[in-house]
Amino acid sequence: MSEQRMYPGMSPEEKTTFAPYSAFDIPADLRELTGRYDVEAMARRCRNFRYAEEWMMMLLGGWVATIPELPVKTGLGKIIWETAQAADVLGKRLPELRCGKKAVDASESANAAFATFIQSVCEPERPDLTIEKLAGVFDVLMPHLVDVYEQTMRETDQICDAPTIELLDEIVRKRRRHIAWGREVLDRLSEGEALRERRRVRVAKLNEELHASGGVTGTLGEPRGALN
Amino acid sequence: MKRFIQHEELARDSRFVRQDNAQSTALASLPDDVEMVVNVFEQFSPMIEASVRGTSAEPLFDAYGPGFALTILNEPLDPDAPAGLTRLLLRMHGIFVGELQALEGAARSLWDFPDAPWEFKMNMARQAWDEGRHVQIFEKLLSHLGGEVGMFPESTFLFECACSEDPAMRVAGVNRGLEGLACDVFRDMIKYAEKTGDEKMKQAVDYVLADELTHVRFGSEWVREFTKDDPEYLKRTQEYRRTVDKQFSFGGARSDREDAAIPIAWDDRLEAGFTEEELVDLAELSGSGPSKKTLIEAAKILRERHAAKKNASKSSPHEGVQS
Repeated sequence: MSEQRMYPGMSPEEKTTFAPYSAFDIPADLRELTGRYDVEAMARRCRNFRYAEEWMMMLLGGWVATIPELPVKTGLGKIIWETAQAADVLGKRLPELRCGKKAVDASESANAAFATFIQSVCEPERPDLTIEKLAGVFDVLMPHLVDVYEQTMRETDQICDAPTIELLDEIVRKRRRHIAWGREVLDRLSEGEALRERRRVRVAKLNEELHASGGVTGTLGEPRGALN
Repeated sequence: MKRFIQHEELARDSRFVRQDNAQSTALASLPDDVEMVVNVFEQFSPMIEASVRGTSAEPLFDAYGPGFALTILNEPLDPDAPAGLTRLLLRMHGIFVGELQALEGAARSLWDFPDAPWEFKMNMARQAWDEGRHVQIFEKLLSHLGGEVGMFPESTFLFECACSEDPAMRVAGVNRGLEGLACDVFRDMIKYAEKTGDEKMKQAVDYVLADELTHVRFGSEWVREFTKDDPEYLKRTQEYRRTVDKQFSFGGARSDREDAAIPIAWDDRLEAGFTEEELVDLAELSGSGPSKKTLIEAAKILRERHAAKKNASKSSPHEGVQS
């Protein structure tokens, strides 16, 4: 241990002492102050994410009464609540990103094509279309959101934008559980080649529409080198 | 996906048997007149018989005739009474399907009212999770008592009455009418569980009751919020809730009368945000149906006529065959 050093105060009476730490006491912070998104770009992303989460909550709520399978109805209850919480924390991040106090319920689609894609996910209504309903959410929309959230967490500034990383991390943790549940249900519902084919057709159609829209942020097709 | 669905559109798996809601509607508006009650039930007899066929209620129909529901609804639960377990299961199954419809009502509010305030959506989303858990809880309690899903027919009367297309009336109907009824029923179930020493049922229903108080509070707050600065709208919403409360009193079975099968849970309702004035009003409107004496008398006549009909068809097996 090195000798105690004096803190440079205003006068000798005011000086305090502290024990200096060596370079080995605390691991060096190797993070760099750099990120792909500035404040405005991250606020836009949060509004885009919130749009997807809010719509997902609403459409799952609409479907509960139209789905005959009892364990699916009850299982969706919890997912609806956790989706609402995801939209809520994304909204609460917006005032922190200089969007104003009233921005907590601001949702925004990245473009018209993504809004149309969401309406396509909402389309199935009849009770015999549980496969089409769940495939749209658990095979297409949710996995897409997880991919984009993870990419956002990797690419944003790890120190400056840590609050966004924290909230996305928590959403992704729950989303993984939702996707596992949804896919297990879909596997059980899609026993037999004809039913599996219905699931494949639905997934292919929606994936095509999703990619054409550019996804939740509208930037899926853009070169990754571009900032924001 | 369209906004607003009818109760007939509620999706069910193959275990469920649907009952026509006309019977519940008629029961909710019966006068205190034995002959009138008998006439209504005789008129509904073919419909009641068809809805119980193949379910655990079929033996009850065989024994008591079309008025079996009068006996079930209007007697407090008693483990030592004849058919005590069947009556307990019938009530438990009724609660189970009630929770299912409450789940559908709350979840549907998220889709039906896309422009509602965000906090409203958060409350409805939370309620959807709670109701989903309640369905799971009552499915397990049903099984705990030896019952199963679909053993009795389901009436979608609760959804039909409570799910208005107006947001203030929806929360007044679902969160104050339906969830208020749940407070009454669950307090009664807790007392029954205490009486029989069923700790599992007592603890589970106690947790559910705690959730219901929260849901009633959601309703009280959102009725106030949706109707603020519009006394006329508030008046219409209160009238709607009174109509729902009258229907959910099942002709006085749920009331503040001394002979009520399901007493009003006065303390729980006060804690949930109902005012004394509202509860006095509820006690008055729920107690105005046929008296227990009338219903017992009607049930007795219906049982006798049903038995006579059965005996007549037994003694003349070739009745209706042309000679």
